[in-house]
Amino acid sequence: MKPARIPAALLLASLAAALSAANPQDAHDHSAQEHPTDDRGVFAAIAQAPLKTREWRNPYEGDSDALLAGKKLFLQHCTECHGENARGLGHAVNLHSPGVQNATPGELVWFLRNGNLGHGMPSWSGLPVERRWQIVTYLKSFRH
Amino acid sequence: MLFSAHAAAQDTPYIVAYSHHLEEPGSLEIEYYSNYGTQKGGDDFIAPWIEFEYGATGWWTTEFYLDSQTTFNQSTLFTGFRWENRFRPLMREHWINPVLYVEYENTNGADKTIKEVVGFDNQFDHAVPNGEASREHDHEIETKLILSSDYKGWNFSENFIGEKNLGHEPWEFGYALGVSHPLRLAATSSECNFCRENFVVGAEMYGGLGTSSSLTLSGTSHYFAPLVAWQMPNGVSFTLSPGFGLNSNSHAFLLRWGVSYEISGFGHKVRSLFR
Repeated sequence: MKPARIPAALLLASLAAALSAANPQDAHDHSAQEHPTDDRGVFAAIAQAPLKTREWRNPYEGDSDALLAGKKLFLQHCTECHGENARGLGHAVNLHSPGVQNATPGELVWFLRNGNLGHGMPSWSGLPVERRWQIVTYLKSFRH
Repeated sequence: MLFSAHAAAQDTPYIVAYSHHLEEPGSLEIEYYSNYGTQKGGDDFIAPWIEFEYGATGWWTTEFYLDSQTTFNQSTLFTGFRWENRFRPLMREHWINPVLYVEYENTNGADKTIKEVVGFDNQFDHAVPNGEASREHDHEIETKLILSSDYKGWNFSENFIGEKNLGHEPWEFGYALGVSHPLRLAATSSECNFCRENFVVGAEMYGGLGTSSSLTLSGTSHYFAPLVAWQMPNGVSFTLSPGFGLNSNSHAFLLRWGVSYEISGFGHKVRSLFR
């Protein structure tokens, strides 16, 4: 192989690797509305939140505008993996599940900031913390 | 329906600097940018480029660029391609978040996208007529250490650049700094496009730091560029950034603008074609 061809070969190999990269969160099945998801990984990740996050108060708790804003943000950022009903597509977590609903708002906002990069959940630290709290406000409304 | 899904990105608006925010896994962002520059001792130019940015995993983003340029009164050229990869070595958020960046560039000497400034890059490099400049072929490896922090809605990014021509040239160094902030931190409850929450403002500063044989600011060029981005919920973003040269080695004025569209779940849709 000529040296000048090596970058092109590397590029093609990398593109193939990138497209086939193991990514449970991306393994959608858009034909399915609901099906079992493997939530253990994300529960373990949420459980790694520092203890102090359990004390964090949601500044938007009980705020109906924040709930609607959170729903809007959820539809913009989260439905591709979790579905419009938030019950999870493919291996993405069902957000109605006890592991998510029993987590404190602080743990969830911490998890949104950090993600679970090794398992397909991106970090949403690029969203201002106010918007992450709004999303959590919406997620917590599922209990009612 | 392959390209029907979109998602609103959480991107920082920088054109030259990078933050630690990578593309969401499986998402493809198609971006078109253009760089207009005034040229002392030569003809002004417009250098457009196209980017294909793909989130391979939560910690790896790969990106492919196609560069071109038009120099007024001369010609229009394809000037080469670049392929970059960014990796997040730490799986959690910290006060300062590092990202490792590696890029291979196969461009010619007429490339005027000015995606980075390193070594003693200066505006007179771009005054060379296209016919002559395009005969020079550059095979370069560019590395960056990207450090980035988020605090109360602000993003602060610092990039340290090392670039090596694979010919027998010394390492060239440069930097890029970025700061940005959305016009409104919390989202409103109503759907909107032209509202403050969808606008991000910021600024970049970038320039050269000499070479491994002469690490210095003397003879280098530097720029300051405010910027504004409009990031709509439908996945389309517009960015505008006027740049100003800070010394006589710099182009007096650069005007960059870009438009991008994010396709969420692209990787899965492509893989499903082969099942």
